[in-house]
Amino acid sequence: MSAYAGDPKTQIMRQVQQEAAMQNARQLVEKLNEHCFERCVPKPGASLSSGESSCFTACMEKYMTAWNTVSKQYVARIQKESQNQALLN
Amino acid sequence: MDMGSNNVGGVDLSRLSQTEKQELQQFVMNEAQKARIQESIHKLTDTCFRKCIPSGAIKKAPLDKYEEPCVKNCVDRFLDANFLVLRELERLRQ
Repeated sequence: MSAYAGDPKTQIMRQVQQEAAMQNARQLVEKLNEHCFERCVPKPGASLSSGESSCFTACMEKYMTAWNTVSKQYVARIQKESQNQALLN
Repeated sequence: MDMGSNNVGGVDLSRLSQTEKQELQQFVMNEAQKARIQESIHKLTDTCFRKCIPSGAIKKAPLDKYEEPCVKNCVDRFLDANFLVLRELERLRQ
């Protein structure tokens, strides 16, 4: 890594990638909070109950599995469509 | 990106060759494309999670045998609908 440290092009590329990864993570965290809070904490009490906590754990895992499923399905479809497009042209 | 300054995130752009600048431009365009796709995936997950996972508290962790096909169908039908809208608009334009 230190060999590239002085290379401005590589440095910029790395910054752009880091920024993209941060943005992606931020969006996921935001959605996880939004959905799971809505579902797991319908009536906020004095503290987060153990039931609410375990709901959160399950909800997070479910949401992330859904994210991966959507991601695979979406990318596969986009690739299929662009191939069809290429055949038409 | 601020094109007026020669400094991006502490890197002096004037040190870049013409070829490097072109490579960077291509790289950033690819990254922007990837970011758009990722943004769509976030939005779609949001929509399909609402539609496919029954409301209320969540007890079992991964997607069950009803939820997974529902999420997959949700993605495909959303895109079908998207293409339908585009085709219809195209037809109206003519």
